[in-house]
Amino acid sequence: MTPTLTGLMLVAAAAAVESFAQIFLKIGAAGGPGILMPPFRHHAMRLPAGTSGLLWLSLGILAYLAEIFLYTLALYFLDVSVAFPMGSLCFIGIALLSKWVLGETVGRTRWLGIGCILGGTILVAL
Amino acid sequence: MASSATKLPGKVLVALALAVVLDTVTHIAWKLAVAHLPEGETLAAVARTALASPLFLVAMVAFLAQFYNWMRVLEHADLSFAQPITALGYIAVLAISARALHEPVSATRIAGVALILAGVYFISRTPHRTTALAP
Repeated sequence: MTPTLTGLMLVAAAAAVESFAQIFLKIGAAGGPGILMPPFRHHAMRLPAGTSGLLWLSLGILAYLAEIFLYTLALYFLDVSVAFPMGSLCFIGIALLSKWVLGETVGRTRWLGIGCILGGTILVAL
Repeated sequence: MASSATKLPGKVLVALALAVVLDTVTHIAWKLAVAHLPEGETLAAVARTALASPLFLVAMVAFLAQFYNWMRVLEHADLSFAQPITALGYIAVLAISARALHEPVSATRIAGVALILAGVYFISRTPHRTTALAP
Protein backbone atom coordinates (compact mmCIF):
# COMPACT_ATOMS: atom_id res chain seq x y z
CA MET A 1 0.00 0.00 0.00
CA THR A 2 1.41 3.41 -0.95
CA PRO A 3 1.84 6.12 1.74
CA THR A 4 -0.75 8.29 -0.03
CA LEU A 5 -3.35 5.53 -0.03
CA THR A 6 -2.60 4.82 3.65
CA GLY A 7 -3.09 8.51 4.41
CA LEU A 8 -6.35 8.67 2.45
CA MET A 9 -7.70 5.63 4.28
CA LEU A 10 -6.71 7.11 7.64
CA VAL A 11 -8.49 10.41 6.87
CA ALA A 12 -11.58 8.55 5.70
CA ALA A 13 -11.50 6.50 8.92
CA ALA A 14 -11.08 9.70 10.97
CA ALA A 15 -14.10 11.27 9.24
CA ALA A 16 -16.18 8.15 9.91
CA VAL A 17 -15.13 8.03 13.57
CA GLU A 18 -15.91 11.74 14.01
CA SER A 19 -19.37 11.18 12.53
CA PHE A 20 -20.07 8.52 15.15
CA ALA A 21 -18.50 10.68 17.89
CA GLN A 22 -20.98 13.46 17.11
CA ILE A 23 -23.90 11.01 17.13
CA PHE A 24 -22.80 9.71 20.55
CA LEU A 25 -22.48 13.27 21.89
CA LYS A 26 -25.95 14.11 20.58
CA ILE A 27 -27.39 11.07 22.39
CA GLY A 28 -25.50 12.11 25.53
CA ALA A 29 -26.79 15.69 25.27
CA ALA A 30 -30.34 14.32 24.99
CA GLY A 31 -29.82 12.30 28.19
CA GLY A 32 -29.93 8.86 26.58
CA PRO A 33 -30.93 6.84 23.53
CA GLY A 34 -34.59 7.92 23.64
CA ILE A 35 -33.95 10.14 20.62
CA LEU A 36 -32.79 7.24 18.44
CA MET A 37 -34.96 5.73 15.72
CA PRO A 38 -36.84 2.63 16.96
CA PRO A 39 -34.55 -0.22 15.83
CA PHE A 40 -31.42 1.57 17.06
CA ARG A 41 -33.13 2.66 20.29
CA HIS A 42 -34.06 -0.92 21.04
CA HIS A 43 -30.49 -2.15 20.54
CA ALA A 44 -28.95 0.79 22.46
CA MET A 45 -31.18 0.23 25.48
CA ARG A 46 -30.08 -3.40 25.71
CA LEU A 47 -26.46 -2.33 26.25
CA PRO A 48 -25.18 -2.34 29.85
CA ALA A 49 -25.95 1.19 31.16
CA GLY A 50 -27.29 1.93 27.67
CA THR A 51 -29.98 4.27 29.01
CA SER A 52 -27.44 6.49 30.76
CA GLY A 53 -26.54 9.74 29.02
CA LEU A 54 -23.12 9.59 30.69
CA LEU A 55 -22.23 6.39 28.82
CA TRP A 56 -22.93 8.06 25.48
CA LEU A 57 -20.99 11.18 26.43
CA SER A 58 -18.03 8.99 27.38
CA LEU A 59 -18.29 7.07 24.10
CA GLY A 60 -18.41 10.39 22.24
CA ILE A 61 -15.27 11.65 23.98
CA LEU A 62 -13.42 8.36 23.35
CA ALA A 63 -14.41 8.39 19.68
CA TYR A 64 -13.34 12.02 19.41
CA LEU A 65 -9.91 11.19 20.88
CA ALA A 66 -9.61 8.28 18.42
CA GLU A 67 -10.45 10.68 15.59
CA ILE A 68 -7.70 13.10 16.68
CA PHE A 69 -5.22 10.20 16.76
CA LEU A 70 -6.22 8.93 13.29
CA TYR A 71 -6.14 12.40 11.75
CA THR A 72 -2.74 13.19 13.29
CA LEU A 73 -1.42 9.87 11.95
CA ALA A 74 -2.83 10.67 8.51
CA LEU A 75 -0.84 13.92 8.46
CA TYR A 76 2.37 11.86 8.43
CA PHE A 77 1.35 10.48 5.03
CA LEU A 78 -0.61 13.34 3.48
CA ASP A 79 -0.25 17.04 2.92
CA VAL A 80 -2.65 19.19 4.96
CA SER A 81 -4.11 20.58 1.72
CA VAL A 82 -5.35 17.05 0.93
CA ALA A 83 -6.20 15.89 4.46
CA PHE A 84 -8.16 19.00 5.48
CA PRO A 85 -10.88 18.91 2.78
CA MET A 86 -11.08 15.13 3.01
CA GLY A 87 -11.69 15.49 6.74
CA SER A 88 -14.71 17.59 5.83
CA LEU A 89 -16.30 14.40 4.52
CA CYS A 90 -17.58 14.05 8.08
CA PHE A 91 -20.22 16.66 7.14
CA ILE A 92 -21.73 14.05 4.82
CA GLY A 93 -21.29 11.21 7.32
CA ILE A 94 -22.95 13.23 10.08
CA ALA A 95 -25.86 14.24 7.85
CA LEU A 96 -26.45 10.62 6.78
CA LEU A 97 -26.23 9.25 10.33
CA SER A 98 -28.44 12.07 11.64
CA LYS A 99 -31.06 11.08 9.07
CA TRP A 100 -30.86 7.31 9.52
CA VAL A 101 -30.08 6.97 13.23
CA LEU A 102 -31.64 10.09 14.76
CA GLY A 103 -34.50 10.49 12.29
CA GLU A 104 -33.65 14.11 11.46
CA THR A 105 -35.13 15.53 8.28
CA VAL A 106 -32.28 16.33 5.92
CA GLY A 107 -34.03 17.88 2.96
CA ARG A 108 -32.76 19.27 -0.32
CA THR A 109 -31.91 22.71 1.09
CA ARG A 110 -29.85 21.26 3.92
CA TRP A 111 -28.00 18.96 1.48
CA LEU A 112 -27.37 21.95 -0.79
CA GLY A 113 -25.90 23.81 2.18
CA ILE A 114 -23.70 20.85 3.14
CA GLY A 115 -22.53 20.50 -0.48
CA CYS A 116 -21.60 24.20 -0.66
CA ILE A 117 -19.69 23.97 2.64
CA LEU A 118 -17.82 20.87 1.46
CA GLY A 119 -16.89 22.61 -1.81
CA GLY A 120 -15.87 25.69 0.15
CA THR A 121 -13.55 23.81 2.47
CA ILE A 122 -11.86 22.19 -0.54
CA LEU A 123 -11.24 25.60 -2.12
CA VAL A 124 -10.02 27.09 1.17
CA ALA A 125 -7.46 24.29 1.51
CA LEU A 126 -6.08 24.63 -2.05
CA MET B 1 -42.65 12.27 14.92
CA ALA B 2 -41.50 15.43 13.23
CA SER B 3 -42.33 18.55 15.11
CA SER B 4 -40.32 21.10 13.20
CA ALA B 5 -38.98 24.28 14.72
CA THR B 6 -38.50 27.01 12.14
CA LYS B 7 -37.55 30.03 14.24
CA LEU B 8 -34.07 29.80 15.71
CA PRO B 9 -34.29 30.67 19.42
CA GLY B 10 -31.90 33.37 20.66
CA LYS B 11 -30.12 31.00 23.04
CA VAL B 12 -29.37 28.53 20.24
CA LEU B 13 -28.11 31.35 18.02
CA VAL B 14 -25.84 32.63 20.81
CA ALA B 15 -24.57 29.11 21.57
CA LEU B 16 -23.85 28.49 17.86
CA ALA B 17 -21.97 31.80 17.59
CA LEU B 18 -20.04 30.92 20.74
CA ALA B 19 -19.22 27.50 19.24
CA VAL B 20 -17.65 29.17 16.21
CA VAL B 21 -15.70 31.64 18.39
CA LEU B 22 -14.41 28.95 20.78
CA ASP B 23 -13.49 26.66 17.87
CA THR B 24 -11.52 29.50 16.30
CA VAL B 25 -9.74 30.38 19.55
CA THR B 26 -8.80 26.71 20.04
CA HIS B 27 -7.39 26.42 16.51
CA ILE B 28 -5.44 29.67 16.57
CA ALA B 29 -4.02 29.12 20.08
CA TRP B 30 -3.06 25.54 19.15
CA LYS B 31 -1.45 26.68 15.90
CA LEU B 32 0.61 29.38 17.68
CA ALA B 33 1.56 27.05 20.53
CA VAL B 34 2.80 24.34 18.14
CA ALA B 35 4.81 26.95 16.20
CA HIS B 36 6.69 27.83 19.41
CA LEU B 37 7.62 24.26 20.35
CA PRO B 38 11.34 23.42 20.29
CA GLU B 39 12.59 21.20 17.47
CA GLY B 40 14.93 18.26 17.87
CA GLU B 41 14.14 17.83 21.58
CA THR B 42 12.95 14.71 23.38
CA LEU B 43 9.21 14.06 23.63
CA ALA B 44 9.33 14.76 27.39
CA ALA B 45 11.02 18.12 26.81
CA VAL B 46 8.44 19.06 24.16
CA ALA B 47 5.61 18.03 26.52
CA ARG B 48 7.11 20.12 29.37
CA THR B 49 7.39 23.15 27.10
CA ALA B 50 3.84 22.65 25.85
CA LEU B 51 2.37 22.37 29.35
CA ALA B 52 4.20 25.51 30.46
CA SER B 53 2.95 27.48 27.47
CA PRO B 54 0.07 29.91 28.14
CA LEU B 55 -1.08 29.35 24.55
CA PHE B 56 -1.61 25.64 25.22
CA LEU B 57 -3.51 26.57 28.36
CA VAL B 58 -5.72 28.91 26.33
CA ALA B 59 -6.29 26.16 23.73
CA MET B 60 -7.24 23.64 26.45
CA VAL B 61 -9.60 26.00 28.28
CA ALA B 62 -11.25 27.01 24.98
CA PHE B 63 -11.57 23.33 24.02
CA LEU B 64 -13.27 22.41 27.31
CA ALA B 65 -15.57 25.44 27.12
CA GLN B 66 -16.39 24.46 23.54
CA PHE B 67 -17.30 20.95 24.65
CA TYR B 68 -19.70 22.24 27.32
CA ASN B 69 -21.20 24.76 24.92
CA TRP B 70 -21.57 22.16 22.15
CA MET B 71 -23.61 19.94 24.49
CA ARG B 72 -26.00 22.87 25.00
CA VAL B 73 -26.29 23.38 21.23
CA LEU B 74 -27.06 19.69 20.69
CA GLU B 75 -29.78 19.76 23.35
CA HIS B 76 -31.78 22.20 21.24
CA ALA B 77 -30.79 21.78 17.59
CA ASP B 78 -30.47 19.02 14.99
CA LEU B 79 -26.94 17.68 14.66
CA SER B 80 -27.24 17.94 10.85
CA PHE B 81 -28.22 21.62 11.33
CA ALA B 82 -25.66 22.73 13.92
CA GLN B 83 -22.52 20.87 12.88
CA PRO B 84 -22.13 22.24 9.32
CA ILE B 85 -22.61 25.78 10.65
CA THR B 86 -19.39 25.40 12.65
CA ALA B 87 -17.62 25.55 9.26
CA LEU B 88 -17.79 29.31 9.79
CA GLY B 89 -14.81 28.69 12.07
CA TYR B 90 -12.71 27.91 8.95
CA ILE B 91 -13.41 31.43 7.71
CA ALA B 92 -12.50 32.98 11.06
CA VAL B 93 -9.25 30.98 11.23
CA LEU B 94 -8.42 32.00 7.64
CA ALA B 95 -9.12 35.69 8.37
CA ILE B 96 -7.05 35.70 11.56
CA SER B 97 -4.22 33.73 9.93
CA ALA B 98 -4.15 36.22 7.07
CA ARG B 99 -4.17 39.26 9.34
CA ALA B 100 -2.06 38.15 12.30
CA LEU B 101 0.15 35.46 10.77
CA HIS B 102 0.41 37.12 7.32
CA GLU B 103 -0.65 33.97 5.48
CA PRO B 104 -1.63 34.57 1.83
CA VAL B 105 -5.31 34.74 0.82
CA SER B 106 -5.73 33.70 -2.81
CA ALA B 107 -8.75 34.20 -5.07
CA THR B 108 -9.46 30.47 -4.71
CA ARG B 109 -9.65 30.81 -0.93
CA ILE B 110 -11.99 33.79 -1.24
CA ALA B 111 -14.23 31.68 -3.51
CA GLY B 112 -14.13 28.95 -0.83
CA VAL B 113 -15.19 31.44 1.83
CA ALA B 114 -18.10 32.55 -0.39
CA LEU B 115 -19.20 28.94 -0.87
CA ILE B 116 -19.06 28.24 2.87
CA LEU B 117 -21.12 31.37 3.57
CA ALA B 118 -23.66 30.28 0.94
CA GLY B 119 -23.81 26.82 2.51
CA VAL B 120 -24.42 28.23 6.00
CA TYR B 121 -27.12 30.50 4.56
CA PHE B 122 -28.92 27.51 2.98
CA ILE B 123 -28.74 25.53 6.20
CA SER B 124 -30.02 28.49 8.23
CA ARG B 125 -33.13 28.44 5.99
CA THR B 126 -34.05 24.97 7.29
CA PRO B 127 -35.75 24.23 10.64
CA HIS B 128 -33.20 23.99 13.43
CA ARG B 129 -35.03 21.00 14.94
CA THR B 130 -36.94 18.38 12.99
CA THR B 131 -37.40 15.74 15.67
CA ALA B 132 -39.29 15.75 18.94
CA LEU B 133 -37.28 16.37 22.10
CA ALA B 134 -36.16 13.24 23.93
CA PRO B 135 -38.85 11.75 26.20
